[in-house]
Amino acid sequence: MHASDSRSSVSPAGALDSARQELIQDTVRGTAGHAAAERYADRVDTLLQRLFFEAPPAAGPVAILALGGYGRRHLTLHSDVDVLVLFERPIGPEDETFLRGFLHPLWDLQLVVGHQVRDLADFAHLETDNPEFLLALLDARRIVGDPTVFTQFLAAFHRPEAHASILGQLQQLIDERHDKFNGTLYQLEPDTKDAPGALRDLLAVRTIARLTDPALLGHGPAEEARLDEAEDFLLRVRAIVHLERKRNQNVLSHELQEKAAQTLGYGGAQPQQRVERMMSDYFRHARIVSRSLEWVLKTAPIPVGVNLVQASDGIRFVDTQRAAREPHTWINAFQAAINHDTAVADDALALIQQHVDRFAAEDFFPSKGDLDALLTFLKPRPGLYARLSEMHDRGLLGRIFPEFHLIFSRVVRDFYHKYTVDEHTLLTIRNLERLATPSTPSRNRFGGLLAELVAPELLVLSLIFHDVGKWRDEDHSVESVRMARQMFERLDLPLESRAIVEFLIQHHLKMSLVAFRRDTEDPDIVKHFAELVGIEERLKMLCLLTMVDIEAVSLETLTPWREELLWRLYVDTYNHLTLSYGDERIRHDQSNMAELLAGRPPDVPETEIRRFLEGLPCRYLQLFDREAIYQHVQLSRDIQPDAVHAAVVRKGATWELTVVTLDKPYLFSNICGVLSSFGMDILRGHAMTNPNGLVLDIFQCTDNDRYLELNKDGRERLLDVLEAAVSGRVDVAARLHAREHSILHSNKVRRFAPVIHSDNHSSQRYTILDIIASNAIGLLHRISRVISRHGCDVDLVLISTEGEKAIDVFHITAGGAKLSDAAQAALTADLQHMLEGHDEVDQGDRPAQ
Amino acid sequence: MKLIKAIVRPNKVDDVREALEKLSISGMTVTEVRGHGKQKGHTAIYRGKEYNVSLLPKMEIEIVVDDTIVDDAVKAIIETARTGEIGDGRVFVLPVDKSFRIRTGEPAV
Repeated sequence: MHASDSRSSVSPAGALDSARQELIQDTVRGTAGHAAAERYADRVDTLLQRLFFEAPPAAGPVAILALGGYGRRHLTLHSDVDVLVLFERPIGPEDETFLRGFLHPLWDLQLVVGHQVRDLADFAHLETDNPEFLLALLDARRIVGDPTVFTQFLAAFHRPEAHASILGQLQQLIDERHDKFNGTLYQLEPDTKDAPGALRDLLAVRTIARLTDPALLGHGPAEEARLDEAEDFLLRVRAIVHLERKRNQNVLSHELQEKAAQTLGYGGAQPQQRVERMMSDYFRHARIVSRSLEWVLKTAPIPVGVNLVQASDGIRFVDTQRAAREPHTWINAFQAAINHDTAVADDALALIQQHVDRFAAEDFFPSKGDLDALLTFLKPRPGLYARLSEMHDRGLLGRIFPEFHLIFSRVVRDFYHKYTVDEHTLLTIRNLERLATPSTPSRNRFGGLLAELVAPELLVLSLIFHDVGKWRDEDHSVESVRMARQMFERLDLPLESRAIVEFLIQHHLKMSLVAFRRDTEDPDIVKHFAELVGIEERLKMLCLLTMVDIEAVSLETLTPWREELLWRLYVDTYNHLTLSYGDERIRHDQSNMAELLAGRPPDVPETEIRRFLEGLPCRYLQLFDREAIYQHVQLSRDIQPDAVHAAVVRKGATWELTVVTLDKPYLFSNICGVLSSFGMDILRGHAMTNPNGLVLDIFQCTDNDRYLELNKDGRERLLDVLEAAVSGRVDVAARLHAREHSILHSNKVRRFAPVIHSDNHSSQRYTILDIIASNAIGLLHRISRVISRHGCDVDLVLISTEGEKAIDVFHITAGGAKLSDAAQAALTADLQHMLEGHDEVDQGDRPAQ
Repeated sequence: MKLIKAIVRPNKVDDVREALEKLSISGMTVTEVRGHGKQKGHTAIYRGKEYNVSLLPKMEIEIVVDDTIVDDAVKAIIETARTGEIGDGRVFVLPVDKSFRIRTGEPAV
């Protein structure tokens, strides 16, 4: 509407009075139903449009929106006029002038205005604590102002998660409202708005259908026209109540019932007869509304994602035409099914089956976000096998992974496997997902391994591909790797992930071979197997892969006896990897260095790499890829005593801190302490020292306080404090003390009794301390502080976290040698004392640094 | 006829099978068993906690052979299953009075 349309020679007060008189006339005639309410709302619209253009202009784009009943054009005589003044940008002084110019005249007109003033940014987060406002927003209607602001509001507000939240809250509001009426619609003095079966219930029916499945209204116990009729009746009655009460009251009391019955034209010789007929009609309408609400609550699907709802038969697409055009969204349906512990509905599966052949593998992952969605979907948990089987049955899995399609119903007649290759593969994933909730104590230990994996989805991806090479009758491990590489390229999988998946596929038969056919009591067999797997993460993945692979051969293949053998090999190899690795150091003539040296950047000389690597544990080369190693070499350049060269980078949900410095007493303790003092929770890490005293520590931490994310200079500040702590200019214990004793952390219960195991046999060079304790802020700092206080050097550390359990392995020496029995006993006693919650450091004993 | 029961290390089963096949002995039963003799098992440490391995996994091989080749069969088993370490296993030779084919009910030779 243009400004000129909204201007009139009649004053605003005159225009409003005229509109109200018209509505009053309708009311006394008993006809103030839908049409009258809409006419009155339109007249108020015109009034607001006029005041908008007469107000001083706002600085930026602004729109006036009608909310709630006014938004629906159901405005009765004393209804609140709910409006939202919505700015595109944050409000400035000129906007306030506009607001005064627009709102003050409304108040002068004695209109009861419920106004909200917001800018678009306010809708980035849902106001879940204000459900009535959210419901009112659903009916938002632009009266005047910038249409693009309204369009932007619609896009920001109408999101699946918002709808789901509103539906949940609406259900709660209905329950609370019905409780006030003892849950019955048969009120002899009914509230025409709030009572069960009244206007709010009718609105709830329409809202639920609108947010979930508009077609629902056509299938319920009453036709839409019947609901319209009920609404019209209730509006007419409510208008009479407003007129008689002269305020926004909605109770049709006994004394008003005679007047209402007469106004609505009910026949009867006596007032009582007219009232009885009117009330009989009222309950007839209220019953219809009430039944419709019950039905819609029971039947309505729930929004669970973009274009997805959860219905009684599972996950369905809302807009099927859109779904047919967007194959990259299909995986979301299966993800939603797992999240909500349901299936994908037959309709949705049929749609996928009907359209899947139109798309190529690339069409399912057009962006990195789609790859992330796939990897999230592949995380093993209950329901994954069932969903993958659905995908396979409908041709989707074979389309996403054409390599998998080649083993569809593939039979390999080896008289060993009991199922086709594709089903065997899917069963491995079922066996894996079952480990998320282990059924027996012996499975708990494998379930524990699964819970510890950093990227369990890569194990599932490996399982999907481990036997695809069986489409040919040759060495299937080699062929499976070749086919997996095609998938790596297609998905643009990160190099690190490719290496893991390729390793698992290539060696998926190796662990069973060693466990069942080699003498695992021979230390050399375990040593060679440990060399193959290299690091604990791969060992855990290979162990799980082996177990679920064997179990998927037939019901009888994985006997408790084999399970035990497998577990023993895992334990022996794990111990070798974590306890003995310090003895195997990188030599300058090592054969696997050639590739590393060949690919080095131009500014990193060969001699510098060799000098950096020499004396570090061999496992260093398996822990890090080439790029990371070059970065470590560069960080070590020109390092001086007390200097710290460090880098902090974000890696997914965690932060990785790499520190290079020169060794000194209390160093490890201080570094850990600084991290904890910034609220960083150290999840995993490695600390290494070479014979020249060069220290390389890599930590993966979660930033629970979002310090690094929220502070632009957070990284610089952390590194400054780190250097100050290493050089002794900052008292780390004092920094940490406040955080350790803060009220936020005071209620942390120690869930596990600490375990300390001292081992002088596994390594030729080091005494090894295996420490398992409840994870807590500053734990590593306190442990290493006790170790340093005993005059020990921390040479190597492996840090890992399993749920709330911290698992740390320290390789330590005192004066360059292993600890004596007496020294070990004294140290473990002190550690035990500290881990049981006693103060570990005598304040007088604190070193000057 | 004699029944030979051999308790051997799991990784020695294939070697024993091959050695017996060279003597034209086929048709063996292999069972997964657990137990301990003088080799009392061992205690493994996993993450600082002791993990008791008291019952060691072994394989039990059962064959029924003619009296004339009992000694050769036992010798072949011992030679192939031996590592020289505690836990190599045991061989038992038991007399077999009668043997029947279940399918036909006839006495087997």
